Amino acid sequence: MTLRISHITVENFRKFRAPVTIDGLTDGLNILIEPNETGKSTLLEALRAAFFVRYGTKNQLTRSYAPHGDSVGPEIQVDFTIDNAPWSLTKRFLKSPSVEVTSPEGRAQGEEAESRLHTLLGSVKDTSTKGDIASWGILGLLWIGQTEALSLTAPGSLVRDTVRSILEAEVGAVLGGPAWNRVHDRVGTQYDQFWTATGKEKGKLTEARKTAEDAQTEAETAKARLQALEENFTALEQARAGLKRASRDIADETDIQTRKDLEKELEIARAAGQILATRRAEKEAATSTVKALTDLQTRHQTALKTHAATEAALTKARDKRRTLATDLVAVREKTSQTKETLEQARLAQRQTRAALAEGQKQHDALRRHKAIAAARTRYAELSRLEQELQQATALSATLIPPEILSELEKHEKRVAEAQARVTVGATRLTLSGDTAAVTFDSQPATAGEHSITRDTTIRVGNTELRLRPPASTASAEQDLSEARRKRDQALEDLGLRNLTDARLRNDKARDATAECRTLQARIDAATPADDTIALKPGPQALKLFIAGLPAEDPQPPAETPDLPALTSAVEHADTTLSKADGTHQSAIEALRRLETEDAPFAAAEAGAQSDLSNATARISELEKHPDFASLNETLAQAGKRAAESAAALEEATRNATVHDQTTIKRKIDTIDARVRTARETCRKLETEIAKLEGTIESEGGKGLAGREAAAREAVEAARAALHRVTEDAETIKLLRNTLEDARRETSARFTGPVAERMKQTISRLMPGSDLSFSEDLALDTLIRGDTSEDCTTLSRGTQEQLAILTRIAFADMLREQGLPVSLILDDPLAYSDDGRLELLIDIIADAAKRMQVILLTCRERAFRHVTANHVSLT
Amino acid sequence: MKVLHTADWQLGKPYGRFTPELRAALTEARFDVIDTLGKAATEHSARHILVAGDIFDTEGPEDRTIVQAVSRMERHPCHWWLLPGNHDFARNGGLWDRVRAKAGDRITILTTPEPRELEDGAWLLPAPLTHRHNLDDPTEAFDTTQTPGARLRIGLAHGSIRDFGSRGETNNQIPPDRARRASLDYLALGDWHGVLKIDARTWYAGTPETDRFQNNNSGHALLVELSPGADPVVTPLRTGRFHWLIRERTVSSAADFDADCAALLSETDAPNTLLQLTLAGITDLTDRVAILAKIENDLAHRLRFLDLRDENLVGRPTENDLAALDVEGTLGIAAQKLNALSQSAGPEARIARRALERLLVEYNREDQA
Repeated sequence: MTLRISHITVENFRKFRAPVTIDGLTDGLNILIEPNETGKSTLLEALRAAFFVRYGTKNQLTRSYAPHGDSVGPEIQVDFTIDNAPWSLTKRFLKSPSVEVTSPEGRAQGEEAESRLHTLLGSVKDTSTKGDIASWGILGLLWIGQTEALSLTAPGSLVRDTVRSILEAEVGAVLGGPAWNRVHDRVGTQYDQFWTATGKEKGKLTEARKTAEDAQTEAETAKARLQALEENFTALEQARAGLKRASRDIADETDIQTRKDLEKELEIARAAGQILATRRAEKEAATSTVKALTDLQTRHQTALKTHAATEAALTKARDKRRTLATDLVAVREKTSQTKETLEQARLAQRQTRAALAEGQKQHDALRRHKAIAAARTRYAELSRLEQELQQATALSATLIPPEILSELEKHEKRVAEAQARVTVGATRLTLSGDTAAVTFDSQPATAGEHSITRDTTIRVGNTELRLRPPASTASAEQDLSEARRKRDQALEDLGLRNLTDARLRNDKARDATAECRTLQARIDAATPADDTIALKPGPQALKLFIAGLPAEDPQPPAETPDLPALTSAVEHADTTLSKADGTHQSAIEALRRLETEDAPFAAAEAGAQSDLSNATARISELEKHPDFASLNETLAQAGKRAAESAAALEEATRNATVHDQTTIKRKIDTIDARVRTARETCRKLETEIAKLEGTIESEGGKGLAGREAAAREAVEAARAALHRVTEDAETIKLLRNTLEDARRETSARFTGPVAERMKQTISRLMPGSDLSFSEDLALDTLIRGDTSEDCTTLSRGTQEQLAILTRIAFADMLREQGLPVSLILDDPLAYSDDGRLELLIDIIADAAKRMQVILLTCRERAFRHVTANHVSLT
Repeated sequence: MKVLHTADWQLGKPYGRFTPELRAALTEARFDVIDTLGKAATEHSARHILVAGDIFDTEGPEDRTIVQAVSRMERHPCHWWLLPGNHDFARNGGLWDRVRAKAGDRITILTTPEPRELEDGAWLLPAPLTHRHNLDDPTEAFDTTQTPGARLRIGLAHGSIRDFGSRGETNNQIPPDRARRASLDYLALGDWHGVLKIDARTWYAGTPETDRFQNNNSGHALLVELSPGADPVVTPLRTGRFHWLIRERTVSSAADFDADCAALLSETDAPNTLLQLTLAGITDLTDRVAILAKIENDLAHRLRFLDLRDENLVGRPTENDLAALDVEGTLGIAAQKLNALSQSAGPEARIARRALERLLVEYNREDQA
């Protein structure tokens, strides 16, 4: 079916207050090129209003149709053909709204007219306030407003359903449908009860699992508690058995008899033990008496031995010392002699050294005296030279500086120049002859030439001649006197008579400067350093030295000392002293040797002497002891007693060993301990039994076994429930996933043909690429080679181009199914480069062979050359 | 002389797998049956009720259980002779000490194997169990137990009869001829939960209130009429409230099942029936869905409880089922996928079968709507 719009008139619609008409629209490609702001988009808006917006609607959208500030009835009139049958549509909004459709079926107005349009165009009543493209059917998709193609939106559900029903016929499968929706929704609801969107457990499934786990925990707790109670029963049984055993132990007769016997034995053992102790004491006493006596005897003998030994040692030491004494006397004698000699040599040495020191002193004084005399002579010379230097320095100071001299010379030159000028301007008067009667300004004149430079009165006799030189001469004369005055002033300042004097004076000053240098050198030469008197070089040092001298010089020594002789005497004395010292040292050494030899013998003698007196005292002390007198006899008696008591002890020991108290006591203790332990055990067990009985009574009343059994069954029930729920959940999951898979598969089968249709044009635009569509027929991905891109990430230009191509593909599909299609593009391809633009225009022109295309654009250059029916607004 | 022989009350049994409401009802029924027994004894002029062990489900029941039991028993004029069984064995400080502390004169607890004279010349020989597991034969002592001046010797014991099942050695086994060997006029046994006659003088009374799914004629007590020198006259009396039925059905169509269902309901007291129903067979999916729907929406609500085991009821989707879905496009594709998976050998096959069934259920549900 072809839909061809041939004529459009719009009045009172937005910017079109006055009627605007497009006429002569034909099949194929129609291009309207108009600059911006002329109302191309308004035109498309008007068409949409005419075809899709209900005439009676008064909402935001329709109110926007009225030109701003006007209260009028926007009106659109469209003529079009459907398969060459003429249709006419006139629609008016707001003020006296109306609609009228004229078709081959006749004329219709109002609702009937609207309904005829819906039927024709497959649109539905638009209930939105701003206009809903989705409700406008196919033309909503194909009449593309400015920038609408920039987003890759999915077609509205009406178009989708139309396209799908077409495709279902083609691919032979049903996508969606009410049964699908119902089943799918219901399964989805059930799925939600068990699973999250991402397939994680939730809801009933989680609850069942938790219930099972809780039941398990509960059962374990119950079991543990029951087990604890059971253990109490076991423990109680054991405690009772233990108590029985312990009671038996306490009542045992054997132990009681044994203990009695042991106590009797213990008595006997105790008696034997006492006797043993007595015997042991007796033996102890006897033995110690023997020991004391023996000790006394031994000590006396030892003292005697010591006495004899010390006596021998004393004698020996005394003998030895007698031999050494003679030698000692001789050596001491010698030592005192050598000491005398040494003292004498030391005295001699001191005297000779003193003599030498005195000689040296005199020698030095003499040298100093001479040096001072020389210094005084040099000082006199220095004084003279300094005086001369002072004079020369003064003279050299009179030197006139060159700039002043040059100034003087300038003054002189100026005087000369002024003089010259006077001379030139002056009147020359030469007198000859008798000149007596002649006066010049009352002054007698002289013969010769005169230069008259000022008014001059010359009297010759009574005749008065008045000479008046030219005025310039008078000024020259004045300049001259001024120059002279300045010169003379300058000379006077310097105390000079003339320039020659100045030059002479300068020569003298220069000579004096040279003289100064010479004098300075001479002064330096006259003031050398002199170590003898610790004098430093330079005039200042000399002056200080002289100033520091006493007024009178001391008397110089009378004679010159003989220093070599004195030195020789000192050396002789030193040699003598060394020899004496050596001899004396040797003597002392010999004496020390002898004394060292004698020292031990002296000590031995003293020690022996002391030991001897000690030994003597000891002996007499021991002999005073009361037992000493009859020592041997007493000792024999004591030995006998000791032997007797030893025998008695041996017997007592034997008796005591037979009845060992410790062993018997241990045995008794063992029996006692056994009884004690048994009693204690009984007490403990009784306590424990009471405790356990208490526990069992209190815990037993809680019905732990019953609870445990209940908990165990609850676990089984919960597990079974969990199993059932899991099974249900798995079933629903599988069903839901299978449904999703089936839907995806079917969708792919549906979107395939659309993609197929587009493939050709796409390959013209982007060779080697392919497209895929999402389930709602929106462009999804662009596949280029091995990479696929999300279409929403493509450039705006490419998105727009793809959007237009997609729409052409849909239009073709729908046209083939006999639906009325028409393509209107408002300012399309704004983002396309030139190459793509050309290509797209080609594709659009190609589409225009199959359907009417109206292209509204402001881009004259881009579209002017395109072969098409160019129309304009009138 | 008449006695009422009962056993295996298992008071305090938890029934953890049931809902709290049903659990409460089952627990209450076990207490109620004590009254039923008391009334039966009065009605039949039996002065003694011999309880052959496992009065309580555990050796440590809650106090409420003990108090309920004791107070129920004491409402009736007969005398109750309670024998500890393996579930409620006797031990120091244990369960029976607690019971004894609460029991009055009409209750005698037989924690020791000493013979008791019930009434003039009628002796009771108890064989109480003192451990949860007893390897010895507790009735062995009966042979030598002296009962001076006995007209009647009645044994009371708890355990299984040797060679009772063909299992190997088990606990507290009793030889089948113990009554003869010990010159007993009657041996009242407990442990087996149904009424069972071993010989003329040896009987199991079974539990008076059924407590599990087991085809063993439980829910009775035995009225025993004893006369010296003669075999006892034993009459089972129905005491139980709840019926625990086990049914296994092989079904081939929904119609079959409907018929089965009708038959079952007509022959049972549905509100007091607990049913364990195992279904097997192969039906088409629609039938299976219909069967399960009937069970889920009708049968289960009529019964007190239904334990349905339908794993072996295989529902195969028919060509029609699949064709119906095929028309729906995507749903058809999903159904084919699930069908293929359900015929695979993997563990997913079962889940896939269920999923396919669910798909059909959901699809048809909307169909009907």
